[in-house]
Amino acid sequence: MAWRALRRVGPVLAPRCPRLPLPPRGPAARRLGTSSLLLSARKFTDKHEWISVENGIGTVGISNFAQEALGDVVYCSLPEVGTKLSKHDEFGALESVKAASELYSPLSGEVTEINAALADNPGLVNKSCYQDGWLIKMTVANPAELDELMTEDAYEKYIKSIED
Amino acid sequence: MVLQSLKNCLWLSCVLRTPKACFWSTASGGLIIQSVSNDVYQNLAVEDWIHDHMDLEKQQILFLWRNSPAVVIGRHQNPWQECNLRLLRQKNIKLARRRSGGGTVYHDLGNINLTFFTTRKKYERMGNLKLVVKALKALRPQLDVHVTDRYDILLNKQYKISGTAAKLGRTSAYHHCTLLCNADKFVLSSVLKSPYKGLKSNATASVPASVKNLFEEDATLTSEILLDAIAKEYAVQHQIDHHITLINPADETLLPGISNKTKELQTWEWVYGKTPKFSISTCLNIAYKGSVLDIKVNMDVKHGRIEACNIDLPEQWLPSGLHSELVRSLTGSKFCPNEITMLVTTLLKVCPQDNELHSRWSLLCENMIRLM
Repeated sequence: MAWRALRRVGPVLAPRCPRLPLPPRGPAARRLGTSSLLLSARKFTDKHEWISVENGIGTVGISNFAQEALGDVVYCSLPEVGTKLSKHDEFGALESVKAASELYSPLSGEVTEINAALADNPGLVNKSCYQDGWLIKMTVANPAELDELMTEDAYEKYIKSIED
Repeated sequence: MVLQSLKNCLWLSCVLRTPKACFWSTASGGLIIQSVSNDVYQNLAVEDWIHDHMDLEKQQILFLWRNSPAVVIGRHQNPWQECNLRLLRQKNIKLARRRSGGGTVYHDLGNINLTFFTTRKKYERMGNLKLVVKALKALRPQLDVHVTDRYDILLNKQYKISGTAAKLGRTSAYHHCTLLCNADKFVLSSVLKSPYKGLKSNATASVPASVKNLFEEDATLTSEILLDAIAKEYAVQHQIDHHITLINPADETLLPGISNKTKELQTWEWVYGKTPKFSISTCLNIAYKGSVLDIKVNMDVKHGRIEACNIDLPEQWLPSGLHSELVRSLTGSKFCPNEITMLVTTLLKVCPQDNELHSRWSLLCENMIRLM
């Protein structure tokens, strides 16, 4: 997902989602770093999806930067279990503030699970984008594709670069 | 209104088909196009085509279009929840599902639609709406119009005259909005009222609003004058010629592949089948031979198909075999009056020729089909 322009409407959206002010970049990076020790390391796409792989299954979500840019998510359109995805394929869309934003698969593989909690509670994507607000789980058909994604540090730098 | 001639159509045809380098050297900054079609599916297909095929990096596009009567629902909405489908069918009003988010709107020739195409980076709804407000103010400085934080444009601080929706793709994005000039408000409010009770869904729900036509505020404001004023303001802000190029959405040479896009937008699978999973729990009150029967109906509908179904009939009202056959056949069928009508007609053919039974069956099925 590409979010720079969305950020520009931040002041307009801000009153609608006051509970998650964007933390200063430095501490955010450190916090992300710590949590990555507990989970497997998250890797990021330049469209702001993340994936973390454990026992051959990747969990996919959107980054904190992305959820803030989107504003309150009101509907998550997710694929059926069993859908085969190639890297960069559209796999669904998130709707927020009247906008439908396409989601793109970070890797090739097959969808093994979708986050059923999002049907009744799409706001989890905003409240907990790295934990309870995950979107899908998928197999990793080609592990080499993981190396093409950004590490958390690289992603933090990337966000800084597009914000400037 | 500066509606350009066929010559301009050919010009566009020419520029769109020429290699990009050549195109950019002839046109820069922006392009203003207007559809010659009033067909909602064709016009939505133009949006898809531009979104999928145009490089918006060097050139932004404003697309102007109007539709003959149609109800347009948002990408993740439920048509049964949002509008009166029976009334739509009776009045021959089209139903379309767009690819952008947001709520349900009514279109007719008294409503104009504006689509602002940009790269995803330059997507900026507030700026676009301010452009529209500026165009309105330039036309009639006394108009009290402003943009809300929900991206609506309000007239006199209370009446909605414009609603917004958007779609963000990988690199391209569009923001489109309506503008009520002289739409039929009676039809608008009657078709946007769902008769449904007992429908449960997580689909995006519309936020109803009081609406007003600009024409009611100033009878000299026609769609043509408004379109022209907006095109002018867009041209000024993008430093391009105030020049509207007509485009024909049926032109395959100009827009290769567009007829497939138009067809897809008309399919049952897209319009109804994309409805987020929902369930119905309702009670049919059927008058039969001087008394009223209460028949409880529960259904789960996924991808527009009946996934599970339960019909609670009074004992002995239908032979139990026929009752279970009905439930069995409904399960897996499209939640669609035509399909179910065919299905129940076929079922009735194989059951005993008994007038009483036939009238009960017809009554029940008629009422079931009304739900769709």
